[in-house]
Amino acid sequence: MKSSIEPIVGRYVNVTVGNARQRIYFEEVGQGRPVVCLHTAGADTRQWRSVLNDEAFTRSHRFIAFDMPWHGKSLPPEGFETEEYLLSTETYMETVLAFCRAAGLEKPLLAGCSMGGRIALQLAALHPESFSGFIAIEASDFQPAWYDIDWFHRPDAHGGEMGAALVSANIAPQAPDAERWTTLWMFMQSGPGVFRGDLSFYTSDDSLVGRLGSIDTRRTPVHIMCGEYDMTCAPEDAQRTAAAIKGSTLAIMKDLGHFPMSENPAAFRVYFKEALERVTRVPVRLMDA
Amino acid sequence: MPRVRNLRQRLDDMAAALERRPHLLRLGRLFNETILIEVDQDEFYLTFEKGRVVEIKEGPSKKLPWRFALRAKGDALLEFWQPLPKPGFHDIFGLVKYGNGSIDGDILTLVKNLRYFKEFMALGRKEGFS
Repeated sequence: MKSSIEPIVGRYVNVTVGNARQRIYFEEVGQGRPVVCLHTAGADTRQWRSVLNDEAFTRSHRFIAFDMPWHGKSLPPEGFETEEYLLSTETYMETVLAFCRAAGLEKPLLAGCSMGGRIALQLAALHPESFSGFIAIEASDFQPAWYDIDWFHRPDAHGGEMGAALVSANIAPQAPDAERWTTLWMFMQSGPGVFRGDLSFYTSDDSLVGRLGSIDTRRTPVHIMCGEYDMTCAPEDAQRTAAAIKGSTLAIMKDLGHFPMSENPAAFRVYFKEALERVTRVPVRLMDA
Repeated sequence: MPRVRNLRQRLDDMAAALERRPHLLRLGRLFNETILIEVDQDEFYLTFEKGRVVEIKEGPSKKLPWRFALRAKGDALLEFWQPLPKPGFHDIFGLVKYGNGSIDGDILTLVKNLRYFKEFMALGRKEGFS
């Protein structure tokens, strides 16, 4: 096999969120309009590896994908050993905003998947001034868990292996085996209690429901994407959410599930190209109006 | 509701297919349980030892103990076993979520062995019966 070095570059940035110092790992590639990419619960930036290696996108966009604290190569904060990790909407939003400031990003596009899509919509409602548009993938207002989140953090079993086996329900059968298992590997690697802590926010905070109507898509366009095989954020959940955001657009993606950019990059890229075009339809000069 | 034809034969073939999957025998090496698979009105009690199916008993029975049960509508299970099932039929939890099946009993034992059990159930897909 021919060897190659990918153009993606990884670095660290140090920020303070609340009272915690966080050393955050991020990957960067491309030139042009900045796009910040958010991973799902229980995973990390590697979910975006194919988009970040796709010249069709990096020719015109600068992608910056970061691992949330506790995830991937971002360490948990000092004192984590006695802390129960429970992500909250507020901490999540503060982390995204702090990262964008520290990385010197001015009004990037925000593209997030699953809990990353949920927080993208929260930011669209509460902090639209910091972004130029939102791509919310496998994202909805709220739906309760169809599983018990405590399964994923217990001393007598491997939470990562159980989490991977559970989320495999959300991968479409059309996903190539190599991409399916790479996607599941990230869940297997997730730190103890991290998937559970992500899901606690994702499955209990329904505060977005009442905020969707306040999103102004004339200033910041919103495009929602949902895989037809996603059982966690099912197409009907995405449709309900899009209907509540006036002016938003929606794509139901064929042959894809809950991790579209990771489980089947070849199928996803067509829809992601459409997404980037949708959220850039508003001329830049209108965004500061 | 028509019963699924040759279901016992398919389960036997799935059990035989396990023997040709060394990774499943490794993943299931601590799995020693009897589980119930109920399809429409038909009951099958599958006893696993060290990841192998050592016995399949047909019901109905009110005496045979089981650790967890997967109950499914026959037509939904046939769709689950298609090479590319439709959305909602592609996973055992999809059958549950959309009202085509149920899982009960000791769910934690299922979840601890979830990859193994899901891949066992998917062997019905790979054996190519219709």
